[in-house]
Formats: sequence, structure tokens, C-alpha cells
Amino acid sequence: MAPADPAPGSDETDWSKLMADSQAGDREAYRRLLQSILPYLRSLARRTGLGADEVEDAVQDVLLTLHGIRHSYDPARPFAPWLTAVARHRLVDRRRRVQRRVRRETPLEAEAETLPAAPTYQPETASEVRRLKAAIAALPPGQRQAVELLKLKEMSLKEASAASGQSISALKVAMHRALLRLRRLLSED
Amino acid sequence: MVSTDQLIAGLAEGLTPVARLARPWARALGLVLLASAIILLLVLLRGLRADMAERLADGAYWLQLAGAWLTGVAATLAAFEVSLPDRSRRWLLLPLPAVGLWLSGFGYTCLADWIAIPAGAPIARDSLRCLETILLTSLPLAGVLWRMLGRARPLAPAPVAWMAALAIAGFADAAHLLIHVVQASALVLVINLIPAAVIVTLGGLLGRHRLSRAPA
Repeated sequence: MAPADPAPGSDETDWSKLMADSQAGDREAYRRLLQSILPYLRSLARRTGLGADEVEDAVQDVLLTLHGIRHSYDPARPFAPWLTAVARHRLVDRRRRVQRRVRRETPLEAEAETLPAAPTYQPETASEVRRLKAAIAALPPGQRQAVELLKLKEMSLKEASAASGQSISALKVAMHRALLRLRRLLSED
Repeated sequence: MVSTDQLIAGLAEGLTPVARLARPWARALGLVLLASAIILLLVLLRGLRADMAERLADGAYWLQLAGAWLTGVAATLAAFEVSLPDRSRRWLLLPLPAVGLWLSGFGYTCLADWIAIPAGAPIARDSLRCLETILLTSLPLAGVLWRMLGRARPLAPAPVAWMAALAIAGFADAAHLLIHVVQASALVLVINLIPAAVIVTLGGLLGRHRLSRAPA
């Protein structure tokens, strides 16, 4: 049986204190705060109606938003309503985007398939993917992180900068070098 | 793909201290003082309206003037409140009584002015001066308010933009009512609401509002 989700506000005093310390730059307090709100955010994301594959992305989105507007929290007020408002806004936004995407897509009907599909290049595609993964893994850490955040995670430069602690210009340089290196690595094979 | 734990570690690692936003009422007070100072400065530079002696006994005029200024005050406070994620949307109702007071003067003074303006009066020149007063009040306030509200990076910027536009319109019309004889309250309101409508529409089209990109 899954553990019960924490009720928002059950750690209210702690959360408010941790957030106030985080605003002052206390990294350990911030790490503890973000870890302790995770179960609540995941529960909220599931209740918003997001699919299981969307929940973790949505939670990360909320964390990045919270990071970007952490200066707007007033420690004299309870933390849970602030967190819930931020989370709900981002989650509802994401659910709307998902719904819009679903509405644009047309389900493939059985009648549409008159002939068996021609064999695709799946084995080669899989091998390409393996080669790309290996090439990314071979990148220096800074360049690898830039590729992961900007390309695989599709973060904006600002978000990636917040997540990695690297400046935007450092990320641009790392991304540029990573692409050159990947091109070279893949053309060598 | 970055795991959530890695993301948290990255966010914590790059954490820097941040300056907390002042309370909304304190920020609103700053803006109201600035707006009132601009109005006062314009009155000192331009002088009071020519018919002020007659207006002193005109209750409708004072109600409209008070309504315009109070609309500015209430809408400023509402804008700062709703720019924060955990504040009630009911703040948006705060300017309604003041707007009612302000709008109640539209019809009366408009009619009275149309009757009072003699044929052949130099309306075009007055209109230009009016527009100048409106812009001299609206533009600095819009710049300061945009920056102040942008600091909160509002998650839902549309109501914030509407309240900001209403606030600026209220203050601009208060200045206008003190300086100019020509009635232009509706024009002031429209001039200030159009940019807000453009911003909100663009924000909707772009998906993310520019207000949320203002520097923290």
C-alpha cells in the first residue's frame, strides 16, 4: 500500500522556516525544503489528472517555477497556500497543454490501414540511439549537462542556468562545444 | 534526462540569497505617493483649470475627482496583491466602488461641458494639451509600475495588467480633471486600457507573459 500523502501544511512551521532560510541563501535548508515538498507535489500532480509519465516532469516544472519566484514568498504568511497556488497554476497550465495536444492529434483508425506497414529501420534507429547515448556519455561533464538540460529536458537557458548553477553564457558555450564534439564523434563511427 | 533529485541538488547548489518583496500595501503606497507627486508637479507647472472657481461648489466634480484618484489607489493595491500567487482574486473587486464613483461623473460632466463650451472655442489646441497631460502622467507611472509588478513575476499576468492600466487611468484622469476644462475621462480610460489589452493579448498568444520575464 502506498504511503499516505502528507497533508499540505502538516510541516507548515518547518516549511516556512526552511523557505525563509532559503531566501537568505541557506542551501541545505533549500535542499531539505524541496525534498520535503516532493510527495505533496507528486500527489497534487496526480490529482490534477496528469498521466503517470507526466507527473515527474510536472513536479520539476513546479520546482523551477518556485525557484524563480522564491523572493515573492512572505515568511509572515503560511507556506502551504503559497506553494499550493504556485503548483496548481503550473499543473493546470500543463494539463491544458496536454489536452490541447490530444485534441490536435487524430487517432489512427483500423480502416485507414489498407496494407501492412513496410518494415522500418528500427534496428538501425535503435543503434543510432545507442551511438548517440554513448557519444553524449563521452562528453565532458559540463557539456553533457548542457545537452541534458537544454536538448533532452528542453529547458530554456534561464531554467537550465538555475538548475545547473552555470551562467547562461557558459551554458551556450558548453552547448556549442558539445554539438561540435558530438558531430565529430558520430562522424568518426 | 535530469532526475528530480539531480534538479534539486542543482537548484540548491546554485542558490543565492534573494531580496524579499516588500508587502503589497507598502509597494502600493510608494506608487501612490509617486503618482500624487506627479499630479502635484503637473498642477504646479500648468496651473489649475480655468474654471476652478466655479468647480469649487460643484459636488459632482469633486466626486469624480475623488473617484478617479481612489480608483488609482485601489487598483494599484489590487495589482500588487494579485501579482502574488497566494492572494485572493477577490482583490480585483476592490476598485469597483471607486470606479463607480468615477464613472458616475462621466455622463454629467460630459454633458455639462458640451453645453458650456462656446462655439468656435480652441478645442484642438486644448485637446493636444490634454493629451500631453495624460501622457506625462501615464508614461512614467506605467514604466515604474511595470518594473515594480514585474519583480513579482506574476503567474497570471492578465488581471495584474488590467489593474495596472486602471490604476494609471485613474491617476491620469485625476491630473486631467485638476488641470483641464475639456472632459476626457473616457478617453483617458481608453488610452490606458488599450496597451493593457495589447499586452494581455500578446501574452496569451505567446503563451508566457513578458511581465514574468522582468528582472527579479
